[in-house]
Amino acid sequence: MGEVILTMKNIDKSFPGVHALDHVDFELKRGEVHALMGENGAGKSTLMKVLTGIYTKDSGTITYEGREVEFHNTHDAQAAGIVIVHQELNMVGDLTVAQNIFIGREFKKGFMIDDRKMIQESKKLFDELHINIDPKAKMSDLTVGKQQMCEIAKAISHQAKVIIFDEPSAALTEKEIEDLFAIIRDLRKQNLGIIYISHRMDEIKVITDRVTVMRDGAYVGTLITDECTKEDIINMMVGRVIYEDPKTHSMVPADAPVVLKVEHLNAGKMVQDVSFELRKGEILGFSGLMGAGRTEMARALFGADPKTGGDIYINGKKVTINSPEDAVKNGIGYLSEDRKRFGIVVQKTITENSTLATLPKYMSGLFINKGAEKEVTEQYIKELDTKTPSADQLVVNLSGGNQQKVVIAKWLVRNCDILIFDEPTRGIDVGAKNEIYKLMNRLAAEGKSIIMISSEMTEILRMSDRIIVMCEGKKTGEISIEEATQEAIMDKATRDIK
Amino acid sequence: MTKKKSIFTQEVIVGIVLVALYFIFRTISSDFGKYTTFLSMMDISYYYALMAIGVAFPLITGGVDLSIGTGMICYALAGGCLIRFYNVPTGLAMLVSILFGLGIGLANGVLISVMGLPPFLATLCTCMITRGLGSVVTGSFAIPWPTAKQDNGWFHSIFKITLADKTKLPLGLVWIILLMLIMQFVLAHTRFGRYTIAIGSNKEAAILSGINVKFYHIMVYAVSGLFAGLASIAYAAVIKTVQPGTGAGMELDAIGGAIVGGVSASGGYGTIYGTVIGAYVILFLKQGLPYIGFNANMQQIITGFVLIGAVTIDIIKRKVIK
Amino acid sequence: MKKKMLAVMMSAMLVGSLMAVPAFAAENLSDTTEGIAQFDGLEAKEAYDFQIVVKSFQSTYWQAALQGMDQAAEELGVTYSAQGPASESDIADQVNMLNSAINGAPAGVGLAACDTSSVLESLQDAADAGVPIVAFDTGIADAPEGSVVCTVVTDNTAAGEVAAVNLYEAVKDQLGNGTVRIGEINQDNYALNIQQRGLGFINKLIELAAADGYTVAMEGNEFYVDAAEGAVEGDADIILEVRVPAQTTVDLCSTEAGTILDKEDTIAVFGSNQTAAEGLLVANDNREVLGDTVVGVGFDAGTSIKAAVEDGTFLGAVTQSPLMMGYYCIYALTAAANGEELIDVPTDGYWYDASNMDDENIAPNLYD
Repeated sequence: MGEVILTMKNIDKSFPGVHALDHVDFELKRGEVHALMGENGAGKSTLMKVLTGIYTKDSGTITYEGREVEFHNTHDAQAAGIVIVHQELNMVGDLTVAQNIFIGREFKKGFMIDDRKMIQESKKLFDELHINIDPKAKMSDLTVGKQQMCEIAKAISHQAKVIIFDEPSAALTEKEIEDLFAIIRDLRKQNLGIIYISHRMDEIKVITDRVTVMRDGAYVGTLITDECTKEDIINMMVGRVIYEDPKTHSMVPADAPVVLKVEHLNAGKMVQDVSFELRKGEILGFSGLMGAGRTEMARALFGADPKTGGDIYINGKKVTINSPEDAVKNGIGYLSEDRKRFGIVVQKTITENSTLATLPKYMSGLFINKGAEKEVTEQYIKELDTKTPSADQLVVNLSGGNQQKVVIAKWLVRNCDILIFDEPTRGIDVGAKNEIYKLMNRLAAEGKSIIMISSEMTEILRMSDRIIVMCEGKKTGEISIEEATQEAIMDKATRDIK
Repeated sequence: MTKKKSIFTQEVIVGIVLVALYFIFRTISSDFGKYTTFLSMMDISYYYALMAIGVAFPLITGGVDLSIGTGMICYALAGGCLIRFYNVPTGLAMLVSILFGLGIGLANGVLISVMGLPPFLATLCTCMITRGLGSVVTGSFAIPWPTAKQDNGWFHSIFKITLADKTKLPLGLVWIILLMLIMQFVLAHTRFGRYTIAIGSNKEAAILSGINVKFYHIMVYAVSGLFAGLASIAYAAVIKTVQPGTGAGMELDAIGGAIVGGVSASGGYGTIYGTVIGAYVILFLKQGLPYIGFNANMQQIITGFVLIGAVTIDIIKRKVIK
Repeated sequence: MKKKMLAVMMSAMLVGSLMAVPAFAAENLSDTTEGIAQFDGLEAKEAYDFQIVVKSFQSTYWQAALQGMDQAAEELGVTYSAQGPASESDIADQVNMLNSAINGAPAGVGLAACDTSSVLESLQDAADAGVPIVAFDTGIADAPEGSVVCTVVTDNTAAGEVAAVNLYEAVKDQLGNGTVRIGEINQDNYALNIQQRGLGFINKLIELAAADGYTVAMEGNEFYVDAAEGAVEGDADIILEVRVPAQTTVDLCSTEAGTILDKEDTIAVFGSNQTAAEGLLVANDNREVLGDTVVGVGFDAGTSIKAAVEDGTFLGAVTQSPLMMGYYCIYALTAAANGEELIDVPTDGYWYDASNMDDENIAPNLYD
């Protein structure tokens, strides 16, 4: 670790009704990887947005390379060498990889853009990072993981001195995360300052040097990673120990009936001949690496994408599901991994979202029964411990974890018997995660059947009664929880990858 | 990993449709094949093609510019007024018309980019404003531009020249093709063009990439206005007497042309050559259907169906890619 | 500035035209003296304020009418305010304007209706409210009792007829050697004045042809085809083709005109108002057949039409006198507001060609 490159002191920022940053301090040294942790809504993203000029701070000082600075937009920050790798993918799908990497600072020949040079430079960049991506490919044709790698390459290419990784591993496979860590270690060697935002405790321990924890918009403290335990960090974040052990045996009674039977489900390349059974009260974990086809399987099952073959039986009866409407009629609910795009209408209130799928239940004649609507919404706000001032809050103003709770409420209101949770805790903080786990267990105990798609091994091992592993569109294994180990799952998930 | 691109892009398909339409009309009506008919069609095509080239840019950003039709009339009226009542030289008046267009385009850009109005709303407002403004600047008078035979009517020869043997050549077509190539180049190979696509594809990403999105967003509408200004000259050269209050609805033909030519209705994709071909498809329908016995009401219905077809292709194309 | 210039120009013309009471034989279409005489010595009892609703401000024709109104208003010491929709196709807009004009309870409303059947309900309201209506430019055939107190219009049927007479005269030598085609471009098929003009032309042409032993068959727009009297089915000496565009714009008129000009057997075309005639000229720009192999006849005035008449592209054109129509509209409104009973005022329409364009009776009506 070298000298201090960046100091943020007493940073204060308020939005109407929210004190987002309450006199926060933060310090970054050259050649260190500094974790920034905190529950969702703790103010990590806001702090980074203040640093990179997206937000203007109300008060406080930022000292960068010995000078006090204030960036007015991301361009200023980039020019000074501070770049951010965003959590949400920020790529222009209609442009090529090379065009994306050099967007905003294209090489030019006269007033013409020099695409050839940009492609060459991209290739060089990818070679350095040991990434195999065609710079001429259209960005929207790449997998999420590869898009993320492009994002990282783009950030690195900025002659950066400070790189901020905002949950970079959320969309990456284990192998890709390893590659990422190799890159980060390399950058650390080159004396760059790296801010690493993540919820994954094990990663923090592996890759970071120091940890700064924030809670509710305020600075809590900074620890040296080697000198602290996971529990220390979690305690600072939430103020209580909440670690739970993996499930040791299935909670499903031996005679529980099969509620859903899927036979030879096919949908393009990503879903090939998938068959499985789901029993009443069961949590069936779907494990696998990114791009294994789990989400595609769920979407095909739910009728959101067209099937090319396969039969579905519900309670022993064959059903036809060609659209989400069919699925919902048959009591299947789907909680998408991409909440913003598929799960909720962010510009509407919690109440409106909660009852969106069940509106006919809340009609009095031609009119919506606002009272009943609100009552049920408030009931679920309480049950799920959704953090919101009121049921009339716009969903867009909630944190990711609380948005997820609204989506869950939507399907609970609906009373679906089969629920598909696709990455239910993605981007959600530890505290909220725990609540969602408890909720899922309760739902299962009440007799609901749950399909849970998850990329987090601990989540799979902790929640599932049975685990199905997929790889490249095929079902490659089915393991009971009693026999399940990380190694066993990973073995099946990577079976065809050499 | 990269897919092989099909050579049957929407631009190619629409190009084939254009040629097919021409020969179908020719076969059914021998009059349609006459050179003079072709000339007349070209005359009327210039302002639609110019408007279409301009409006393609807002469309590619996922926006729209509804002000180009009434705007074009307004700019033509303003220029005509200067010539007629203030004896301003034609060249200067033309410049004023074009700059007027540019100005309204900039205003649209500021409303949309800085004030944050939705493009539909902002340009609907300027559509109404230019419609009324056209009447105000002329005192509600229809304004004739100088005829080709008058001294200051030289601008007609920008679009059509008459050779010594009285043969007329549609020179305007050359300018349309030239402008098409230039603007296609701008779209594909300059920062402005690339950012136009970026804004339409993922505006948030463009902002976070440090692009001055506000500026480029304004420029997109400025280009649209500029081309409406150019169109006003073409309009004055063909229609001669410019009537205030007209022009509403013309923007829809231009927008329709761009969409038919493969500009994605949701933004992020489009080509200028496709746009021009699409504009000519719409024009051929407008001009050709009366020749084969369809009245003007029928042609609007048919044009509507052609648009549905084009948008459907766009949607299917995007689905297949996914 | 320019507005004033034009006003001065037009006022000067107007004075000239009013002094020279039309007194000519063949070209003068109808007798105007009786209708005008009723306004002798008229004085406004009060400084009335009238509402005028015109079809649009699209063509200079309406500007000329307003100049006539200005002149009359000044003479009588009354005021008026004029409005009109953006285009002559905006029927609903005009009805709204008319309704709000009537609701304001003015001393009277001058109306040039875009669509005569659409205004009937509003006229009933006017009659109930006691607001006198003067219909100008376009007569309203089925106006409710007590609403329209006076109609100041060019006799449109006669105007169409005079176009037919002059056009027929120019082409009759070419008849009898196989089928020939005569075209007519009407900007719409719903306004009464256009209907009257179009049918006046059609029926007169059929009548003149029949007198010489030629037959006429109709083609094109159904309204006019069905309304024509005396046409034959199948083979005929003359095909009379009527074309109507979807909207009243010059470029759509020009496409329709182009289809007629492109036909080999076309010998003459009539454009029945300023927009249709200008469309005809735009279509002729490339084909250059008018004044050469095809006889063109226009209607109304305006720079391009006047230039076409002057250089022989058009054989001639029929002009109304919008100045006088506007002028007498205000007189009629004032008299009605005074409580006088009125008879209709037909205003003049004239045939003009290169030879008589500068005549003092004609020139003032040839607005730019």
